[in-house]
Amino acid sequence: MNWTWFHKLGSPKWFYELTSKWLPWLIGAMVIFLAVGVVWALLYIPPDYQQSYTTRILVIHVAVAGTSLAFFPLMAVAGTITLVWRMKLADMVAKNAAPLGAWFSFITLATGSLWGSVMWGTWWEWSDARLVSMLFQFFLLVGVVALRSALEDNDTAARACALLSIVGCINVVIIKYSVEWWNVLHQPSSPLSMSGESANGPEFWVPTVVMIVAVYLFFAVSLILATRNEILQRERKAAWVQELVSKA
Amino acid sequence: MKPHRQKRLGIILFIAVGLSLAVGLTLFALRQNINMFYTPTQVAAGEVASGVQFRIGGMVKAGTIQEDQGSLRVSFVTTDYASDVPVQYEGILPDLFREGQGVVAEGQIDSAGVFHASKVLAKHDENYMSPEVKAALDAAGASPENHMMQPET
Repeated sequence: MNWTWFHKLGSPKWFYELTSKWLPWLIGAMVIFLAVGVVWALLYIPPDYQQSYTTRILVIHVAVAGTSLAFFPLMAVAGTITLVWRMKLADMVAKNAAPLGAWFSFITLATGSLWGSVMWGTWWEWSDARLVSMLFQFFLLVGVVALRSALEDNDTAARACALLSIVGCINVVIIKYSVEWWNVLHQPSSPLSMSGESANGPEFWVPTVVMIVAVYLFFAVSLILATRNEILQRERKAAWVQELVSKA
Repeated sequence: MKPHRQKRLGIILFIAVGLSLAVGLTLFALRQNINMFYTPTQVAAGEVASGVQFRIGGMVKAGTIQEDQGSLRVSFVTTDYASDVPVQYEGILPDLFREGQGVVAEGQIDSAGVFHASKVLAKHDENYMSPEVKAALDAAGASPENHMMQPET
């Protein structure tokens, strides 16, 4: 098998040039989806028969929570590439994903806490496996950031963080299935319904899907921008970066 | 793929599979401790000793809520449609607390089988609908059933 295409993917220069072309489109799409999603979610979703307008928190909460589960798998794939092929680009992506993931987890916990305080009658329950496993993910991601800054040697830090990211994937599975495996306060995921005449009809899930796409685009744009900065910093001695900077 | 890379990939896979197995088995062994609450059926079967602080989760049985005039004392029956456990509580209830709604109560059970709660939380299901849709479904007798608190089979 020919692996040249794979090694081309690992070139920071190639990534920088490709994302220069993609970024305007991604940012444009992100702005449109975010604007539509936020306005629709916060102003136009009908009240729930039991929870009234508090379900509007759901749209933001579900979109951010779902996206926050993508960080460890992403960092684990990047980490495996770092460990096996020693590609610099993979580590640059992983390094910048960790703090972003911590923020996503934090927003998930904060929005969930607000919703819970109104509906469940509690801000926080230590006995709920869904809540605690999500908090664990937040701590793990903060831990990855701390581990990175604690180790001075770049390569050692990259390998240690890669290993922790692979291990962290186990927790993602636990978060996902916690509501099915155990008795918890948190409700399970809602099944979508195509009909407007049943529970979880399009009037609820269409704005949620718009918001999920918006948050994923925000995630992609933030990660690409941070990675581009990382590339310029780490490759500052490369000829193409010197040329780029002198032109600007 | 070069042999040294293949070897590194093998080691990573081995670590990942091994750790997943270890965590999975640990969680399986601890499953009763991870559960947030006992069901009324489990309580009725005597799985919990009296005088021990624990949580019970069930639905508020229709027509059983009795509120004391002039105080915050309330009593109701929690059920999983197989067994019933009466609950007594004094304090502020969540807004979502109502007949047919899920609750998780924390407290102790006395020798008479009455649960004395120090905290009552509301649990809702994953079915969201507008009041109009709910009314239409009720009229058609097609409201989604609440499977939240079914006894374990």
